[in-house]
Amino acid sequence: MSYCVNCGVELHATCSECPLCRTVVQNPRQPVDRDSPTPFPGRKGDVAPVQKSDVTILISIVLAVTAGVCGLLNLMVFRGNSWSLYVIGGCALLWVFCLPVFSGRISPYLSLLLDGAGISMYFGIVAWLHPGNGWYLRLAFPLTVLATALVLLFAAFVRQIHASVLTRAALVLGETAAFTVIIELLIDLYWQAALQITWSAIVLTCCVIIDAALITIIRRTRLREEVRRRMHI
Amino acid sequence: MNMSKRTNHKTPWYRLDLSAIVYPTLQRRNFSSVYRLTAVLKEKVEPNLLQRAVDQTLPRFPTFKVAMRKGVFWRYLEPNNRPGPFVEPDIMNPCMPMSFQNSSRYLIRIYYYQNRISLEVFHSLSDGSGAMCLLKTITAVYLRMKGYPIPSGQGVLELSEKPQAEELEDAYLRYASSRVRPPRSRDKTYRIRGTREPFYTLNIITGILKVQQVLSVSKHYQVSVTEYLNAVLLHALLQKQKEDHVFRELPVSIAMPVNLRRFFPSKTLRNFITMVYPSIDPRMGEYTFEEILLQVHHYMRYYINNKFLNADITTNAAVTKNPLIRVVPLFIKDLVVRQFYKRVQDKQSSAGLTNLGVVETPDEMRPHIERFDVLMGQPFSARTNCAVVSYGDTLSISFASSIVEADVERLFFCRLVKDGIHVMIESNRKTGVK
Ligand SMILES: [Zn+2]
Repeated sequence: MSYCVNCGVELHATCSECPLCRTVVQNPRQPVDRDSPTPFPGRKGDVAPVQKSDVTILISIVLAVTAGVCGLLNLMVFRGNSWSLYVIGGCALLWVFCLPVFSGRISPYLSLLLDGAGISMYFGIVAWLHPGNGWYLRLAFPLTVLATALVLLFAAFVRQIHASVLTRAALVLGETAAFTVIIELLIDLYWQAALQITWSAIVLTCCVIIDAALITIIRRTRLREEVRRRMHI
Repeated sequence: MNMSKRTNHKTPWYRLDLSAIVYPTLQRRNFSSVYRLTAVLKEKVEPNLLQRAVDQTLPRFPTFKVAMRKGVFWRYLEPNNRPGPFVEPDIMNPCMPMSFQNSSRYLIRIYYYQNRISLEVFHSLSDGSGAMCLLKTITAVYLRMKGYPIPSGQGVLELSEKPQAEELEDAYLRYASSRVRPPRSRDKTYRIRGTREPFYTLNIITGILKVQQVLSVSKHYQVSVTEYLNAVLLHALLQKQKEDHVFRELPVSIAMPVNLRRFFPSKTLRNFITMVYPSIDPRMGEYTFEEILLQVHHYMRYYINNKFLNADITTNAAVTKNPLIRVVPLFIKDLVVRQFYKRVQDKQSSAGLTNLGVVETPDEMRPHIERFDVLMGQPFSARTNCAVVSYGDTLSISFASSIVEADVERLFFCRLVKDGIHVMIESNRKTGVK
């Protein structure tokens, strides 16, 4: 019969520390009983593996059948060009987009990364069917990679850091500005024109001004209060 | 039994009752609405006898011998004649998720460990009082096999009798008759801050008290035992919110199921409960313990009567009676209900507290039973749930929590100790790990 010196509750004879406050039991008159059975068993139960949900199976089958039928039609009946690749690619892309619906366990970063990969794959199919002047490698691919990276950055920011809506808005604006500038630079590179910022400069300036305002508001508590007062709904 | 079924030619099936509808939609990989009742005997349990007792008892309880099936618009329960359920040695993490697709399809589990018989039930089948009736009958049949003469009655059902229609009824529909349906909207409440335990751990802390001591303390405060325990839990949650140094204080609220059989006579063994939410808003000012007690006392007296409860179940019934809602396919209903529960309902309470009250058994059983325990099961969100039951002079309070910190439990039991109540603690929490 030992009591927790901190909480004053009596502890079961097999307790070596108080479950409530983690205070160690030290009772020279009655050492902890390590032989008697504990009040709760020590065996841990396993959860039976959960089967794939009906939705997963349904969506997968619908997409697979669509892709398969179009592929066969393309091979057997309408043999004009490889049009079925659009459909097959589209189905694969949809399936990748649906991954988070299928399993809540998949990491959001991984699923976003896969989404990015899927989109660039689809552009790849288009580029392969219409071999143009290298627009895919020099324009579409780098832009998809960049957009994926920016979205990942935002996701990481939202998930890891508890920030206000204003801070998030500031980050989105910053990312938009960077993205616009890089689009223009890539287009310049693509046309082999001189690297210069023209139309994206307007976007950049707007974003910088708004960002500066936002950051000032976030930094100054009094200003934030003032904005809250004036803008309250 | 078999003969009568064959002549009937119709397999019975059961609609889910009003509260049973919600639980399957909340089903997740790591969550099921499963709770546990335990009978602690005075001698070691023999698994073979227990298995025989279960096999003999279950046919008397057709609504527990079922499997969950999906219809186009609603789920329903279908009699399950697969072998089982089989008794198993107990585990340290009770109330594990229960898949509807598991091999035997049963929605109940029976465990044994040392002197304990534990019954786990998926909440769609029954509420605590219905399941307690099953556990008492299993225990009585088991004790009879051990050679003790145990009569039926006091919640121990007679096995030779046929199941009565009233035991299988959806009592909500019989009693929902209010002409107004009060709207319900409640504030967001305080959420306990804590470190989530990894999947799948359930931390249990059980406090064992003397009924006489708790009764005399509550009498001293001029409240009932349920009101007193509610106030102690609210007080603990308020203190915890303060210790958390939250940016913005929120009201603290407890979700407490009320057994409707007390107000609307029914022998149903299925769900017949509704929720009340005693709460304290610290934004109105500092509450002393006595003020919390008074608040809870008056809240309970005001809301827990057959008129208010009738209005409440009528609101519930209206949803399932609405023809527009009925024709919506099940998977859309699931989506909507799950979102509603996640975003609204779950946020309306900071903790759960259920009091099964006094368990009655035939007097002949008393020498063989130490006490009963009840466990509310895995909480839907990171928090702790509290369940109370008493038998003879033993009151058992069990917390089931999915977070590492035991602050609410500590504050709760320390308050009881401070009021002069002797508390004995048992736990499955791992010791020696910091
Ligand atoms: Zn302690």
